[in-house]
Amino acid sequence: MVENSPSPLPERAIYGFVLYLGSHFGFCLFCLWAYVPEEWLHSIGLTYWPQKYWALAVPIYLLVALMIALVLLFGVNMNNTAPLDSIDNITDVYAQGQKPNGCHKGGIPRLKDVSISEVNNIFYLTPEQ
Amino acid sequence: MEDEAFTDINGKAISLDCQSHSGLCREFTVSSPKVSVGKVMVYTCCVWLLAYTVFFFTENTAVLSSAILITLLGMMLHIHFVKVDHESLLVIGSLGIQVSSSYASGRETTKFIEMSKIKDIVINEAIYMHQIIYYLCVLLKDPSEPDAVSSVVPLFQSSKPRLNCLVKVYKSCQEILSKC
Repeated sequence: MVENSPSPLPERAIYGFVLYLGSHFGFCLFCLWAYVPEEWLHSIGLTYWPQKYWALAVPIYLLVALMIALVLLFGVNMNNTAPLDSIDNITDVYAQGQKPNGCHKGGIPRLKDVSISEVNNIFYLTPEQ
Repeated sequence: MEDEAFTDINGKAISLDCQSHSGLCREFTVSSPKVSVGKVMVYTCCVWLLAYTVFFFTENTAVLSSAILITLLGMMLHIHFVKVDHESLLVIGSLGIQVSSSYASGRETTKFIEMSKIKDIVINEAIYMHQIIYYLCVLLKDPSEPDAVSSVVPLFQSSKPRLNCLVKVYKSCQEILSKC
């Protein structure tokens, strides 16, 4: 059985180095296209490239999207949290559907969800030793 | 009647008053601090200074009058609908419980829940905004299904006391609920 572990492997090192070289090369090409004036590109024969406007617009779009995504993440989480008057804070489908514990003499009792009334009794009504 | 130094979840001081009317009837009142005059003055001055600076640049007197109207209306709506003066829980064994909150303007809202619908009064923990708080709640049951919880009514929602206050109320309530 092959174990999946996050330890370094030779193949992973090669993938990482290829990605590193590729991303650096891509960045150099992007900088070339953004800085070289249009006339030089046209004179070589490269005419069909996007407008230089996008060299500024795309990074700014990405950064603004990142900021909004961060705020949106917290917002969606807060929205999905159950309010204080919701039954989901007390119990759920699985806890209600559990079978009543059968009497096992001398064994480990079955794992089950303890009801909130019992928990409160143990915490707050029994005197602390 | 007891009055110890209790606080709410944000650290502001509140006070708890327990009254035992009889062996089966008890009333708990949690009072929040009153609206402080200093805070009101600071808010009003800020809003009016802001309106004056806008007027200084736009020379439009409607800005000033609208600022005055907005502050007055805002204060009236706040003390009538938002600012809770005290909330009380009245437990009458074998009859039911009554939850009432009275606002700073004198308005009172009450809710009565009869004993056959009440399963238990418990302290539960839940996630509220960015923190986890303890809150006291009434578990309601359907009389036809006595084992299942049908809905939850949280208590003391505006004052949100901390655990020491809730444990006192809980122990007192359980004494009554276990008798009937």
